Formats: sequence, structure tokens, C-alpha cells
Amino acid sequence: MSDLKQIPVVAKETGKERTNPLANVFDELIRFAQARSMFMLHYCTGCGAIELPPAMTSRFDMERLGIQPMVTPRQADILLITGYVSIKTLKRIILTYEQMPSPKYVIGICSCTVNGGMYWQSYATAKKLNEYLPVDLYIAGCMPRPEAVIEGLRLLMDNIKSGKSEPWKDYYQRYDYYLGNQQHLFGDDWQTPTDIIGEAEHFGLMGPETEGEHTRLLQQHQQPLEPHKMRLK
Amino acid sequence: MMDQELDRTLVSIFNEMEKVDYQQKSPRRLRVDVAPEALPGLLELLKGKASYVHLSAISCVDWIEEEEFELVYHVWSYEVNSLVSAHTRIPREGACYLSVYDLYKPAGFFERDIYEMYGVYFEGSPHMEKFILTEWNGPPPMLKDFDAEAYVQDTFNWQDYQPDWLKDLEEAGGGVEIRPEDVRR
Ligand code: SF4
Repeated sequence: MSDLKQIPVVAKETGKERTNPLANVFDELIRFAQARSMFMLHYCTGCGAIELPPAMTSRFDMERLGIQPMVTPRQADILLITGYVSIKTLKRIILTYEQMPSPKYVIGICSCTVNGGMYWQSYATAKKLNEYLPVDLYIAGCMPRPEAVIEGLRLLMDNIKSGKSEPWKDYYQRYDYYLGNQQHLFGDDWQTPTDIIGEAEHFGLMGPETEGEHTRLLQQHQQPLEPHKMRLK
Repeated sequence: MMDQELDRTLVSIFNEMEKVDYQQKSPRRLRVDVAPEALPGLLELLKGKASYVHLSAISCVDWIEEEEFELVYHVWSYEVNSLVSAHTRIPREGACYLSVYDLYKPAGFFERDIYEMYGVYFEGSPHMEKFILTEWNGPPPMLKDFDAEAYVQDTFNWQDYQPDWLKDLEEAGGGVEIRPEDVRR
């Protein structure tokens, strides 16, 4: 993955300079709190998921680190990809990822998420997860033991605490790149219900590569989303 | 039980039909080679007369050099306690065969799977449409002439295997022994 710091951010001039001397202290406090309270989406893709039950429950007990499983993407911070990702699953992963509120973190567990692992010559599995989603860190192994999973989560916590874990911004700043790779796999008419460009504008995270040829292609065929009609019988 | 002697019903069935060639592979396994036009009739007799009521699988083999597909129907009897595998070969070009859905309902499932993976069309099968690979537009992937490795090489990129952290390891005398690039073509 390219280094985040090299990507220039086009920051919106809000006119609000940070004048409060305590702002940085608060930031640190918030990051500390964030790192100690994380919800991990229960979404398991491959065989590596089998190491999660021991990691979560009394034997290795992830909750002592403040990490808890959560059942819906809208209330989760961490997306654990626990193994090989088939093309069909990848679509669902992207839909799920886009629904999660920022800041959000992706961890690829298992060699399969790094490079296809033992499915490297399979037509049906995606190879490099970080082409389609910004991945915070990979935990290699086939499959990694719970100790390794917890080690990885600790590293993520440290990164959050020190403010280094910001690949989720990359998804907004280089949306065109990610969308291009997604279109390459799923076809040109690929569309998700989340308006990433709109969100990027809202969060002030527009980068020079947020929009490009792929997002233009998306806009050509994009169908506006309509709310479901509520009906009572 | 089908120990030494073949079940008498089976023998009478095989004698009733032409173009049937059978071999006893083991006490409970019988291999029957049959011409494609005779296979539905054979299955019908096996089911109706010899209690082979359970179609446990249909498998398909792609014999690319002989330009043929081999279809294998595995039927099981709970009374004789034995498995009959009926093999038949159909031409590979424009492969099409008769469905046995009306005889064995599970056949619909196996035929749909074979149609998706090998492109063999089954006439009369109720659901000749996509099954598991709903989002796949390429050729049937189990065909021998579909080169999955070449497809992967054109479609996907590989992880960079020269990361910075590896340099430290290499300086200390470690590193990756066999690089993925050397294993892949
Ligand atoms: S790396 Fe191994 S354990 Fe993990 S998903 Fe792949 S095959 Fe399964």
C-alpha cells in the first residue's frame, strides 16, 4: 500500500483554526479511549475464523483488551477478514465495509487475504485484499493462532493510540483507485448503495484521487437509491 | 448381499440390455459401462426392479484428448447394500444429454452443478441456470481447457515481496527462501 503521508489532502478551508491549547490533549484522550473500546464485526469469511472463538472467549479473552464482537456493521469498528475471500464474498465485504461508521479498521487474518494463500491459482478467490479495501494490518499464517490474532489487535490498538492507523481515510482519498479495482473484478456496472464521494465531501476528506475515470463511469450508470416504502398491512 | 455372486436381478437386468459391460470392483461396488442411449433405461430398470433408489451423485469427467465427457451415475440400494456406478461417454462438442430428473429428483441438483462447471446441458432438467457461480461470466471453470492459472495471472496482481521489513531480515541472513515468483510461471 502506498504511504498515506505521501498523499496530499485537499483540506477544506473552514476558517476555524485550532486555538485551544488543550485540543491535542483531548485528541490523545479520545484516541486512547477509542483504542480501548472496539467492536469487532462478526463476519467470517474463511477457515481462519475457527481461531476466533478461542480468541474471544475465556481462554484468550479478547474482552480484556476492550474488544467485543458486534453483530451489525453499523455499530462496529473493526472488520476482521478471517480467511480466503471469494469474489462473491468480496462484494459483500465491500458493502459491509462501506456501511461501517468511520473511523474503521480492517484486519486481514490468514495468508489467503495477503496473497491468495493456498488458493493462489483459483479463479474464484481474490488475491490482494488491499487492492479493494484499505487494510490496516495483516496477520499471516495458515491459520494464525489466537496469540497472533491478539498480538495483531494489540498492534492495532497501539497504532490507534498513536494516531497512525488511518487507512480508512485512504478509502475516501483514493476512492477512484479502489473503485477501479472493484470494477475490474465485478464489471463496469458495479454499484454500492453508499455514496462514498458524498461522504468524503462531508468529512472533508476529498483527495485528488477521490474522483477519476472510474467514478465517472460509476456516475454514468448509477441509479439513484430510493427509500423503501413503509407499508402497514 | 452381493458377495461372490452377482445379484440375480442385476444379472437379469444386464442380460435384458445390449451394450452393457459390467465389472465387479469389490463386493459392494459394481461398475457398469453403458452406451448413452441405454443409460436412462438401465437406471429405470435398476430403480424399478432392483431397488437402487438412491442416486447419490452424478459426476463428470472431462476427457479432453478423446473429446468426450464421461458421466457417472452412482446409485445405491438399501436392500442389496451395494453401489452401482453407471459410466457413459458423450461427445464433448456441444455436450448435451438427457436428464434423469423424472426418475431421480436429486438429479436436478447434480445436473445443474455439472451444467455450470462443465457446460453439459441436460434436456428436461428443471433448472438449467446458474447455481453457485452466479457472478461468473467466464467459461465453465472445470473444463480442462480452462487455464485457471493463466486467468489468475491476467486478472489479479500479487503482493509486493520486497517490503522494507524484509530487508532487515535479509541483512541478518534470513529472508524468503523460495519467492512466489519462482513458483509461479
Ligand atoms: S490461510 Fe489457511 S486457514 Fe486461512 S483461509 Fe487460507 S487456507 Fe484457510
